[in-house]
Amino acid sequence: MALTITEENLRTLIDRLIKDGTRVIGPKRAGEMTIYEPLSRGAEFAPGPLPRRSAKEAFFPLSETILSFEKGKDGLKVDDVDTNAFPRTVLVGALPCDAAAPQVMDAVFSWDYKDEFYLERRRRTTIIGFSCTSADDSCFCTLVGLSPTATKGSDLFLTPLVGGGYSCQVVGDRGGELLAGYPELFTESATVTPVPPAEPEGTPVDLAKVKLWLEEHFEDEIWEEVADRCVGCGACAFLCPACHCFDIVDEGTEQKGSRRKNWDACAFSKFTNHASGHNPRDVQNKRYRNRFMHKFKYYDDKFGKTLCTGCGRCIRYCPVGIDIKGILEEIGSRF
Amino acid sequence: MNKSSEKTKSTVTIDTSGYEVATQEIRSEAKRLLTEKIVDAVVGYQGGRRGGSAVPVVITDPDQAEKLVFSAACVNNLSIYLTKAKKEIRAKGKLAVVAKGCDLRALAGLMGESQFKREEVVIIGVTCAGVHRAGTQPGQPLTDSTIAKKCRECSVHIPEGSDLIVGKLPPLPNLSPTEKELMEKLDAMTPALRWEFWKEQFTRCIRCLACRQVCPFCYCEQCLCDRGRPQAVDTSPRPSGNMGWHIVRAMHLAGRCAGCAECERVCPMDIPLNLLNRKMAEELKELYHYEAGLKPVEKGPLTSYDEKDDQSFIK
Repeated sequence: MALTITEENLRTLIDRLIKDGTRVIGPKRAGEMTIYEPLSRGAEFAPGPLPRRSAKEAFFPLSETILSFEKGKDGLKVDDVDTNAFPRTVLVGALPCDAAAPQVMDAVFSWDYKDEFYLERRRRTTIIGFSCTSADDSCFCTLVGLSPTATKGSDLFLTPLVGGGYSCQVVGDRGGELLAGYPELFTESATVTPVPPAEPEGTPVDLAKVKLWLEEHFEDEIWEEVADRCVGCGACAFLCPACHCFDIVDEGTEQKGSRRKNWDACAFSKFTNHASGHNPRDVQNKRYRNRFMHKFKYYDDKFGKTLCTGCGRCIRYCPVGIDIKGILEEIGSRF
Repeated sequence: MNKSSEKTKSTVTIDTSGYEVATQEIRSEAKRLLTEKIVDAVVGYQGGRRGGSAVPVVITDPDQAEKLVFSAACVNNLSIYLTKAKKEIRAKGKLAVVAKGCDLRALAGLMGESQFKREEVVIIGVTCAGVHRAGTQPGQPLTDSTIAKKCRECSVHIPEGSDLIVGKLPPLPNLSPTEKELMEKLDAMTPALRWEFWKEQFTRCIRCLACRQVCPFCYCEQCLCDRGRPQAVDTSPRPSGNMGWHIVRAMHLAGRCAGCAECERVCPMDIPLNLLNRKMAEELKELYHYEAGLKPVEKGPLTSYDEKDDQSFIK
């Protein structure tokens, strides 16, 4: 016996959640692309292709106000953001490479400083992951320890079935709670035939060995070879499900304004520019090396995790074709 | 339903056999230039891991010339690597660059702006029938549906003025000018509707700055829009700052942009940025009979004063 939900009931579930005051974020069509966005009704839910940007913004928005200030007669008034007012959220339709990323980022956001903006959204969000059924030549989740059927990070995991509908696996407590709230939308089915999962191509790479190799090759010709052409934009970091660097800026006037937390990217030349004018990462290939090192060495050193889920977005949208999967395979061939 | 309509739509395939000829000629020329030490490095394209893909490469060893290719996947405008913003590439010494006709226009503009002198660069011009549009899976044939918008209206298939022109031009099909059509649609809108159109487009901007970073003319060491004290434009990816950023950029490129449309190609949010540049170029042509990139010009109409300039806007 398997727990299943029909396509129609899944849309009804989204409608019911919204009606009950839950914010539902899921893939939605926008022109030629799909983006994870708050849905206003179940009919908007558009599962299928990997959304253009990752689902990280459900927890870590592109830009968020972290306080606002205003000068008045009685002096300066500072308003903090009430994180308790963050909405209960269900993220539905996250593919394994997106669903797995928040668990990786939890480590950095709850390390020496507890980022309540991120953490409170995490506490209030249930993730309904989706099994992935199509891969292209940029996909490489299987090289970084995941797979198109990996349930890591999901609370509930749906697998598309031949003939429509989904089988449904409860992974975490929150998944069970969600299910318990709407039991009539789910049914037990005797037999189910899942749509075959995607089969990303690629040579398996031993990430522990990659890390060892990186430890010995901080200085190596490979960085110039692969990244002298880097133009220094933030497309890779901004589309990435695991990149989490941000900048804090004050905007507005002296009288009234906001302090905002915005995505930042290590490829930007200003990222490490010191006030003195000195920049320790003075050329572009050093900035790219940092991106790679952070994903496959530094983050592992610090938190025991790989900061990459193999979604391939940085490959598909790099203006100059920098190919992190190709670099991993190249390093794998050098052991 | 979609599939059947795709099938009935006739596909025009563009003959790219000339690209194989170009590839061979680029390889032998690059090898010669490096062997005879005429240049220290060649900026060209090489095949990537993904089947049929091509990525920018800088080679310094004559034996590496065999890596160079030219194909419909050679979308990049390599002229960016010649600007003063790319110190690490210029540090390699005298450069040769592979350039399509559209890229050559940027090279002419950059020479006019003293980024380099003509004699400092060897230009290997490639006869080009067109390249892929953004989002095309590498390796696809070049067709009516995979060709870039700019190539549908190309007037510079042969890069005149290069040191060497490689490849050969096939008979070219007549393709509908989709960007021109969109432009006309926008021009026909009321200002209020047009404003709505752009507001909607800019709302999607995530400020990854890919548009700026691939632009040959965005070589400023200190971009005004990165300034913090005082802040000229909000850096937050929010509607007001996004609007400010794109308008400042369009104005700064007016009379300089040579129309390579790289900004639009690389935008991960599909914002049709070249429409802004194209509009500026049309205005320049109308008001000053000026077209950027035809030849190196030291001072364009917006950086010089002439008594005959149109002054009808002064009321």
